[in-house]
Amino acid sequence: MLERIKDYLFKAWLIMSALIVVLVVVFLFGYICINGIGSIDKEFLLSEPKGIPIGIEGGIFPAIIGSLLLMLIACVFSSILAISTAIYVVFYCKSERIKSFIHLIIQCMSGVPSIVLGLFGYALLVLYLGFGRSLLSGGITLGIFIFPFIQIRVEKTLKEVDKSIITSSYALGVSEVYTLFKIILPICRADIISAITLAGGFAMGAASPIILTAAVMFAPVPESLFSPVMALPFHLYILTGEGISLEKAYGTALVLMLLLLVINIISIILNIKRKESR
Amino acid sequence: MLNIGEKLFKWIIKLLTFLSILLLAFIVIFIFNESFVFFKEVPIWKFIMGRSWNPLGPAENLSIFPIILGTIYVSIVGICISLPLGVGIAVILSTYTKDRVKSFIRGVIDVLAGIPSVVYGFIGLLVVVKFFEVRFSFAAGESVLAGGIVLSVMVLPFIVSTCAESMDKIYEEYSQASQALGVSKSYMIRNIILPASKRSIIASLVLALGRGMGETMATMMVIGNAPIMPKLFGKTQTIPSLIALEMGMAEVGSLHYHGLFAAGFVLMIMLLLVNVLIYFIKAKMDI
Repeated sequence: MLERIKDYLFKAWLIMSALIVVLVVVFLFGYICINGIGSIDKEFLLSEPKGIPIGIEGGIFPAIIGSLLLMLIACVFSSILAISTAIYVVFYCKSERIKSFIHLIIQCMSGVPSIVLGLFGYALLVLYLGFGRSLLSGGITLGIFIFPFIQIRVEKTLKEVDKSIITSSYALGVSEVYTLFKIILPICRADIISAITLAGGFAMGAASPIILTAAVMFAPVPESLFSPVMALPFHLYILTGEGISLEKAYGTALVLMLLLLVINIISIILNIKRKESR
Repeated sequence: MLNIGEKLFKWIIKLLTFLSILLLAFIVIFIFNESFVFFKEVPIWKFIMGRSWNPLGPAENLSIFPIILGTIYVSIVGICISLPLGVGIAVILSTYTKDRVKSFIRGVIDVLAGIPSVVYGFIGLLVVVKFFEVRFSFAAGESVLAGGIVLSVMVLPFIVSTCAESMDKIYEEYSQASQALGVSKSYMIRNIILPASKRSIIASLVLALGRGMGETMATMMVIGNAPIMPKLFGKTQTIPSLIALEMGMAEVGSLHYHGLFAAGFVLMIMLLLVNVLIYFIKAKMDI
């Protein structure tokens, strides 16, 4: 009898947890969509924020462009470092001790809170190197933010490459670099791009690294790397935090979510393609 | 000629790796350097144990004990809500579901992980905080509990993915044997799988703690940001929100400025310790 009660309770727990989580997700999306859809129109997407206080009228065009540019810079900066580190760990590093040291460092980097990265970017890039609040400072800070994520994913894909392909290539007298570029990277290409796009999504949604390093309440579409930018997450924070316009905030949140959705879908399609090609 | 290219490439890779490893050292050194000025004026234990945060007063008035407590309190409330849900989902994922349902649930969890924290904060402010204010007629719904609820949704994906990974393996190991013995599935999960995955549940807990403590935007928007001793239904302040809110106002080079860096330094050290712990738990799990 007791066993039966336990069994029921256990199953009730599982069903409840699944139900709650699905409801939460549906609610999150439903809430943003229903409230946000009304404020999105052509003007909202394609014009600059207007009114006093700024943002109460007009659109979010500079913020969309700013977010995309920040994401681009972050992805470029971070993938160069991350892919090199992954290649080093998988192909060049012979000592187990150095490998586990690098893994420890990367674990720690993934744990550095985003606001501390923001502080770091503020102290080093904005003040010390004199970049000011700019696209470049924000992009690099976001790049550091997503570096561990890309590194871990890329290293995993590189490790999954069939070892026999690599050894046969070496046995044929093909050089290491040639093997890497002509055999290994083509196999992993879809995976690596999918990791970078996913990380780009994270970078685009992150507000705390750019509060101090890049984002401002209003700026036109940036002209150079050193001009300050608007960004969607920061704009959303300002609109709600300062209580400027709830309606525009819903719209901004919806646009941000839709952009992220598109990025995620690209990444998922790449993943499916990879599975088919294998 | 080819050989030179090979060597050059290897050196570039080495250099870039070295640079990325140096980044962490850079971060630590820079944050320490900026907070060192402050620690010369106020000893570190006084900064950590003192109870007032008043940037306008003298140096002794800058201390962050309530804020540290608030940071930890909010994450623990979040984990307490999230852990039962997360473990439940992980059990469902690794034992009760097959391909299609499994990838659907995984997709839902991935979507949760992809939602930006500022959107969580936004919804938390408009829904959770308002709910407290309207239903329970609180003077202000911004509270530790509201922060915990928002955080619980945010850390859920980490708990689910860490737990499900090891539960998958354990289930594969024991499922045939227990089926052959005619043991019911739920009995097997309760008596074999859950005890065996204790370590990964602990790992997920520590991971979630790290995430929660470092979270800025979502908590900042729902906890009210008052540097007082935290109560479950009262306003509080976390270190990340303190930095994010006040850094813009602090004059560069002032004591306030260096004090905020010092707060960041304390937070970073706490999280580095948490992550070293995670690293060792994970290393033990693999063997």
